[in-house]
Amino acid sequence: MSEIYDVAVIGAGVVGAAIARALSRYRGSFVVVEKGHDVGTAASGRNSGVIHAGINCLPNTLRARFCMEGRALLQDWCEELNVPYSICGKLVVARVPEEIAGLEKLVANGVANGVPDLRIVSPAEAAALQPGIECVAALHVPTSGIVSPYALTIAMAEDAAVNGVQFLLGAEVTGIEPEKDAFAMVTSRGTIRAHRLINSAGIHAGRVARMLDPEAPEVYPCAGEYLILDRQVGERMKMSVYPAPRVANAGLGVHITPTTEGNILLGPSSEYADDPETVCCTRDVTDRLIDEARVLWPDLPEHLVIGAYAGVRSKLTAPGIGGFSDFTFRTTPGIQRAVHLLGIESPGLTAAPSLARHVLDEFTLPDRAFESKPPEELRLRRWPDRFDELPEAEKVRLVEEHSDHGDIVCRCEGVTKREILHAVDNPLGVRTLSGIKFRSRASMGRCGGGYCLPRIVEILQEERDWSPDDFVLRGPASPAFAGRLLEEQHA
Amino acid sequence: MNERQMTCILCPNGCEIDVRWTGTPTDETIRVEGNLCPRGVGFALEELTHPKRTLTTSVLVRGGVEPQASVKTAAPIPRESIEMARREVARVTLDAPVAIGQIVLVDAAGTGVPVAVTRAVPRRATERSAD
Amino acid sequence: MPESKRCTDVVVIGGGPAGLAAASAAADAGAEVVLVDRNPRLGGILNQCIHDGFGLHAFGEVLTGPEFAERCVARAVEAGVDLRPDTMVAELTPDRVLVCTSPGSRTRLEAPSVVLAMGCRERTRGMLRIPGTRPSGVYTAGTAQWLTNMANVRVGRRVLILGSGDIGLIMARRLTWEGAEVVGVVELLPYPSGLPRNISQCLDDYGIPLHLSHSVTCIHGTDRLKRVTVARFDDNRRPIPGTEFDIACDTLLLSVGLIPENELSRRAGVVLERTTSGARVDDRYMTNVDGIFSCGNVLHIHDLADWAAEEGARAGRHAAEYAAGAAPSDRLDLIPIEPGPGIRYTLPQAATRTAKRLLVSFRVVEPSDDRTAEVVAGDRVLASLTLRHAHPATMAQVEVDCGDGLDVDRLEVRLR
Repeated sequence: MSEIYDVAVIGAGVVGAAIARALSRYRGSFVVVEKGHDVGTAASGRNSGVIHAGINCLPNTLRARFCMEGRALLQDWCEELNVPYSICGKLVVARVPEEIAGLEKLVANGVANGVPDLRIVSPAEAAALQPGIECVAALHVPTSGIVSPYALTIAMAEDAAVNGVQFLLGAEVTGIEPEKDAFAMVTSRGTIRAHRLINSAGIHAGRVARMLDPEAPEVYPCAGEYLILDRQVGERMKMSVYPAPRVANAGLGVHITPTTEGNILLGPSSEYADDPETVCCTRDVTDRLIDEARVLWPDLPEHLVIGAYAGVRSKLTAPGIGGFSDFTFRTTPGIQRAVHLLGIESPGLTAAPSLARHVLDEFTLPDRAFESKPPEELRLRRWPDRFDELPEAEKVRLVEEHSDHGDIVCRCEGVTKREILHAVDNPLGVRTLSGIKFRSRASMGRCGGGYCLPRIVEILQEERDWSPDDFVLRGPASPAFAGRLLEEQHA
Repeated sequence: MNERQMTCILCPNGCEIDVRWTGTPTDETIRVEGNLCPRGVGFALEELTHPKRTLTTSVLVRGGVEPQASVKTAAPIPRESIEMARREVARVTLDAPVAIGQIVLVDAAGTGVPVAVTRAVPRRATERSAD
Repeated sequence: MPESKRCTDVVVIGGGPAGLAAASAAADAGAEVVLVDRNPRLGGILNQCIHDGFGLHAFGEVLTGPEFAERCVARAVEAGVDLRPDTMVAELTPDRVLVCTSPGSRTRLEAPSVVLAMGCRERTRGMLRIPGTRPSGVYTAGTAQWLTNMANVRVGRRVLILGSGDIGLIMARRLTWEGAEVVGVVELLPYPSGLPRNISQCLDDYGIPLHLSHSVTCIHGTDRLKRVTVARFDDNRRPIPGTEFDIACDTLLLSVGLIPENELSRRAGVVLERTTSGARVDDRYMTNVDGIFSCGNVLHIHDLADWAAEEGARAGRHAAEYAAGAAPSDRLDLIPIEPGPGIRYTLPQAATRTAKRLLVSFRVVEPSDDRTAEVVAGDRVLASLTLRHAHPATMAQVEVDCGDGLDVDRLEVRLR
């Protein structure tokens, strides 16, 4: 390509997608370069989906600042984009009296960060707020919330795309050459040039930064395993439940977190890994997740586990060394207009919109080089309401209007044929089964796609002319099938 | 002493029979228990000496509501002929509509046993969904 | 919103062998019957079961699944059942109002009798918590069977099967026939759970190794499945350290259990039995909700479609009787039927005192030979059945002649 973009963003996780959305409000040529075949395929799609209140961030850090700024902006963006979220609150639970001091520390922390309405409550009050939890005392955090992390990432990215930001998926950056007045990124899909660069490559941000700046620090992968419980039990958790902190900076312990879709998550664990690509769930850790969660929730229905996943945090603190590290925006003297976002772990999701604003204001566009688009020029792409969640009268009306809404494809989650087709016709051009899953919700239910996969195969062959080789799980390297069983013989 | 359990499929009773034999199975060396009638002995002997199997597989269908019709050999055929019969069937493509019982191959692998359709496939309507 | 109105006597949810038989029997008993099924083709799971072994008991012939389905459908057509394929029940209320959805249409149906015959789903990797990565190429056996037999899709080339139940064994043979390399079947228990004839015809015939007392401890492959770690397991179902070995494969099929699909039932207030994951029913196959009946795999997992169909017919007859004005549950005195020593579950879980004849289905806890199953009331043996080969994978049935009615407090099925 001979074109030189105004700004290139490396990495389309939740932060890259937020940056893309913020960029799309300006006139200019912008590109997001992402090694996965969809957005949000790494940590952004494998976390707890929490809108943090700010009680866990050390005061006077960037983490605290962007958490508090971000959480307000995040809710605004979710409203604009129709992304599911809920300020359901959280209980941090002390199981023994010795842990109450830890709750008080969190209160002090929270107050210093400006978190309102924190109260340490009695077991009776805790039970009234969240039945079924065992404790001697609990900290109620009413401003904590949950959000669908993959819906948020996809919605922001697709909104950016319909407003002119280009997304180059399946493009891994393997080298960056500074040229006069631009950067040339060598990728697996050709060389991309841009005048300004934002590195939001998450777990790979250190490696990408060192392509320009050999002194850039290492980013260490730290895995977190999760278990997912059947939606059937979702109503039992009205809010997140966390154990009181035992040791400072040792991760957050095993949480019980409801999701916006009605599932319940157990986790994450926390252990450093060697290779982020091979991080996966293990027997030992998932057994421990259940054992530890059961301490908080004695009636935990273990037989209703329907799935597991593992995400990878980006840590700037090395294994065995520990300590605290803040969000890092690294620039290099002599290299203008390139900024690397390093160590964006929790509360990165909560902070994403404000991180995006900050990066543009302070690093990428401080010179106000680009004109803002007037509101009438902006198109809004909203995350669609889920058919299954609509009132019955609305469902009836929609089925009359679009007959494909009468054909339920994913019976566990009530996803219709029309929703499947809408998911595959997305503006990013994502054509993976995983892409359909995260956009439509199909196959995220208890049967794990056993029922809907064959129907999705039928629909896409019939309606979009796919052949068996077109079905891939996450990209060309993960084909679902091995071609057709029978081919026509031409005698 | 050799032993095998099998289900006799000659009649609806579907007797679960125990077959014991020494050396080469013949009607002298074989002892069958659990059968409600003598035909079970003959079934057991054949199963041990010249086993037959029913081939059940599928063929391509052009222009049907589904891309395949399921088929079977109309009777069990010698086990050693199964692979050849399968390959012959795999070369066939039928045009919809396809009816149950329709003959796909007159003679599977020279056994004299035909292969017939077991699942009807109606012709596909040409219009796609309304929206 | 269209008004509900009673437009029929019996609605059957599910057009597989049990549902079709229930509908036919209800119609034969004089009821107006509507049968709804979410697929465009009736027959349920039978359509993808292209192997034979069906119909031996029901029709006196050895049929393939689709042929058996065709007979059941023809019977229902002949009986005058209103058959509605392409119709899924989205909601069912305790007062038997159904919300039905089809392409272009979402309507309500209401009837005094509803028969649940929705069948089952498969246990997944997620439920077993099998550790490892999440590559493509991991499928439940039934889904793989659908793809292979209905969609003309080759699921993979080098296949390992977890679970020695019949579905996995049938797929081992099917995929071998279609040119895949089936590298083995892995079974957690020390004995296979499928029929001996399937072990013989699907594994032995093709030299496919069966690893008993083994299971999968890890799945590998970041994109497509690359290999699987397998280990020997002890009697407490824990892997024995040091016994692990890897099997290279690009496809893993899971045949690790079927779960009755009772989501609609639960939301309608139907109480489920823990051991079967199906509804608790009496000898009329009625659940705790008046007018809601259950039969087939949604009630308890069957080994043979023939038996599911027979059970469906019994349930359908009772559903018709109830719609015609038979007594609701609270007017009847129910006698509990419980599993005793050696018995994992019994079905039905209760009998009405006026029953003339009781057909009790049961499964044993573990395999053994030359046993006797007895139905007892206290010390009195009411019926017995000889079991030459008692096996958990083979459901058995014992018939009790109740004479003029049962004058007992409790019935138990036990194994001697």
